[in-house]
Amino acid sequence: MAELQAAKSVSENPCHMCMPIGGILPLKGVEGSMVLIHGSQGCSTYMRRTIAEHFNEPVDVASSALNEKGTVYGGGENLKQALDNIRKVYNPRLIGILTTCLAETIGEDIERMAAEYLAERGLTDLVVVPVNTPGYGGSQADGYYLALRQIVAALAVPTSRHDKINIIAANVSPADIREIKRLLAAMDIEYTLLPDFADTLDRPYEEKYTRMAPGGTPLTDIRAMTGAAATIEMGVTVPPAISPGQLLADEYGVALHRLPIPVGVAATDLFLRTLREITGRKVPDDLLAERGRLLDAMIDSHKHNFAGRSTIFGEPEMVYAVTRICLENGIWPTVVAAGGAGDAAVSLFRAALAGSPEPSYFLRETDFSEIRFRSAAAGVNVAIGPSDGRYLTEKAGIPLVRLGFPILDRMGGQRILSVGYTGTANLLDRITNTLLDAKHHSYRSKLYEEFYKGRRLNMAPAQTR
Amino acid sequence: MAMTLEQISEMLAKYPVKVEKNRKKHIVIKDSAAGRQEIEANTRTIPGIITNRGCAYAGCKGVVLGPLKDMVHITHGPIGCAFYTWGARRNKARSEDPGQNFMNYCVSTDMQESDIVFGGEKKLAKVIDEVAEIFKPKAITVSATCPVGLIGDDINAVAKAAEERLGIPILAFSCEGYKGVSQSAGHHIANNGLMERVIGAGEREEADGKYPINILGEYNIGGDSWEIERILEEVGYTVVSVMTGDGSYEDLQNAHTAELNLVQCHRSINYIAGMLETKYGTPWLKVNFIGVAATAESLRNMAAYFDDPALTARTEEVIARELARVEPQLEQYRKLCEGKTAFCFVGGSRGHHYQGLFAELGIDTVLAGYEFAHRDDYEGREVIPEIKTDADSKNIPDLHVSADERRFRLKMSPERLAELKRQIPLSYYAGMNADMADGTIMVDDLNHYETEEFIKLLKPDIFASGIKDKYVVQKMGIPAKQLHSYDYSGPYAGFNGAVNFARDVSMGFVSPTWNFIVPPWKDEPLLTGSVTEEGVA
Repeated sequence: MAELQAAKSVSENPCHMCMPIGGILPLKGVEGSMVLIHGSQGCSTYMRRTIAEHFNEPVDVASSALNEKGTVYGGGENLKQALDNIRKVYNPRLIGILTTCLAETIGEDIERMAAEYLAERGLTDLVVVPVNTPGYGGSQADGYYLALRQIVAALAVPTSRHDKINIIAANVSPADIREIKRLLAAMDIEYTLLPDFADTLDRPYEEKYTRMAPGGTPLTDIRAMTGAAATIEMGVTVPPAISPGQLLADEYGVALHRLPIPVGVAATDLFLRTLREITGRKVPDDLLAERGRLLDAMIDSHKHNFAGRSTIFGEPEMVYAVTRICLENGIWPTVVAAGGAGDAAVSLFRAALAGSPEPSYFLRETDFSEIRFRSAAAGVNVAIGPSDGRYLTEKAGIPLVRLGFPILDRMGGQRILSVGYTGTANLLDRITNTLLDAKHHSYRSKLYEEFYKGRRLNMAPAQTR
Repeated sequence: MAMTLEQISEMLAKYPVKVEKNRKKHIVIKDSAAGRQEIEANTRTIPGIITNRGCAYAGCKGVVLGPLKDMVHITHGPIGCAFYTWGARRNKARSEDPGQNFMNYCVSTDMQESDIVFGGEKKLAKVIDEVAEIFKPKAITVSATCPVGLIGDDINAVAKAAEERLGIPILAFSCEGYKGVSQSAGHHIANNGLMERVIGAGEREEADGKYPINILGEYNIGGDSWEIERILEEVGYTVVSVMTGDGSYEDLQNAHTAELNLVQCHRSINYIAGMLETKYGTPWLKVNFIGVAATAESLRNMAAYFDDPALTARTEEVIARELARVEPQLEQYRKLCEGKTAFCFVGGSRGHHYQGLFAELGIDTVLAGYEFAHRDDYEGREVIPEIKTDADSKNIPDLHVSADERRFRLKMSPERLAELKRQIPLSYYAGMNADMADGTIMVDDLNHYETEEFIKLLKPDIFASGIKDKYVVQKMGIPAKQLHSYDYSGPYAGFNGAVNFARDVSMGFVSPTWNFIVPPWKDEPLLTGSVTEEGVA
């Protein structure tokens, strides 16, 4: 694995977003919660737009709407007024406050402000979760886990031991969340899954619209995560300092199992085996049958897949999961771009990519111009990641399998299923069929180029197609 | 169903008292008997209200500068701001020289914590150099985001030094997100910068063809500008520049050669329109190319301005031909739309413009509003002297221009100009209120709560707005029409656009999807049987 650092200062078509947008998602997966962005109103408007377009759902996120005056005198008054207004209209049980570049640069102490607010208003029931998410401080992946950690930190209370296990979900789709729940139910395991945006960010059409989306992890369950038998955190690339599972381990002694997102045979095996070890439950025959079907699919597609050379980009945790499914199927990862991956994560990627017989590039701080350059030069024939990778298709003709967040140019980002044996088979089919599609489109012209070009033929090239 | 003041008060009673008082002033029920009705606009957004407004950076880089295709637009700031304006507005652009079309690029300094602590000027200078080398653009813009102003990066100095180093214009815009009260501040900042540095920088003294015009405030969403240009060119006009949809640095430089400036979106570009008049003596005409009737009227007003019998004849010819072509197409959609009602809530001009097109389809607009407009966009430009300058607008300095000694030229005698002003909206905009029917409602800066409440009360058949409120509306079972991005459709302007719009709106009404909302078993009893004397059989 060749590890490349950015050689230029300019970011030319970015493949990551800012920290607060990542913080919104887990807060949307908590029951009865609202989100407030402390900063200029543009931040919340832009993030809502992006999230709404991915999920095709209402994404109500408030802003403290700081203006020039706030930058001089501080934003405390705006923040409190915003909290008042949110409570009046939404009556939430939890409000997450995410900071922005603006709030962090002027040094807003939101933890103090939040405490002051609760005291001033005499509120004992409302939970306020302050999260410091400066836009320049990290990517959306950091914001996602940090917000989760702060939610747990704000709610955790010492609880007597119980048999439930904690599942901390990575930034996967609502469909993936539902699939994980199905696996847990199939094994008859009691659990607390955080965040649970299966319903809140993929709401069924209902006769009556309610302002607060039903669903989300109940606050009482989050409080009791401290007494769980163990935590499984999908977050092998996550620095311990922002890991919610680490917090539960350090402060409440809950055993932590950090696992990759269960995408691919090995990762799903590991997920189920860990569940079995923690709870003593058996993996039921139905799931074994699903495993068998996935293997059957892998065998059926293996020749097509083996011709694949992939570029994988996006949030480090998802990139790691996809890298492994590519390795399992011989779709050798050629360019792997995980913006914002920490040192520990880089070692993981190094270890994984050592399993590839072909050279690979690992890009840590990168943009699509670099990814495109490397991919085109290395003969990549499939890209896997969020929709901004369309640029690779437009400029370099590399087809894109859309996966992750955000998907802005296609419908159904919220319904993309990729976890578990069944989800893996789904994802694999999407990758294989993308390779096949390219083959069907080009093989006649390719044959012509290879075998007939330069020969004198009576046939016009167009007729050979 | 008309709405009463009591119902509105009831709706607002849910707010805290201060908010209730504030929001009341942003809502007006049209009553022509009441004389001029004042509406509060362009004031601070209430914190914690789910507004649809954006920031100054959005208005400057996102709206006005972004569509200029042959300039590279650098966002100086953390990555998010650049990412969120990447291809988000669907401004279409084509270029004869594909190497000089940078629309698909999102370029930023990707500021990190260390840049915030130690300053980002060095990084910006380096990025400008790299951009010049990689893209070789004709000019570069630099737009500031929130932290830039706070840490005191002097982007003007960096741009000036780079300009000397590289020999191409580098324009700096201090459009930090916290400035002003909405994206409107950013429009103003962008207008000032373009006027100061680009417009009039060209060498040409005369335009290349007859009846040269500029189209201002047209952003070519979904190809709108191309349809407008098609019509104008058929009539015989020469489009010097479009500001800024499919626009270019190259064209804008010579915008001073136009004989008339058309203003489509008054809010975002009226500053440049006014300054062009002061500096070059070119009046502006408020046009509206949304809707068949409005398009025809705009064409006739233009002909009246140029006052050339041949042009007038050609105008009527084109109008007649286009009407004959599109009317039968519109008629079939009219049958599907007739009698329906709409909400029309969009940025700074479409909230007004689309009402005419809705009306042509037989759809009544019962509620309309703007996200970030000023009072003149509602009440007409005559209120401008009355508008108090508050602290927020003071922060955006006006650019003062004076008559260009060499190039200022009156386009007609003052007498004829005065006479024309009585006939056509020359350097004048009458605002939305003038076209609203009695009993309909205007709401400034409509938010999610009010959206829901107004829908429950007025039950519109369609809601024309943006993506942030679209899904709230659709979850309530009402079709939504995005009028910011057109839901990947368009163009909606001009004659062809009207047909596209009619088709898309009709699809919203008659899609078979709506038939499945109620499950078939909804009204079926769970058990079937009959009650006899002995009991249930």
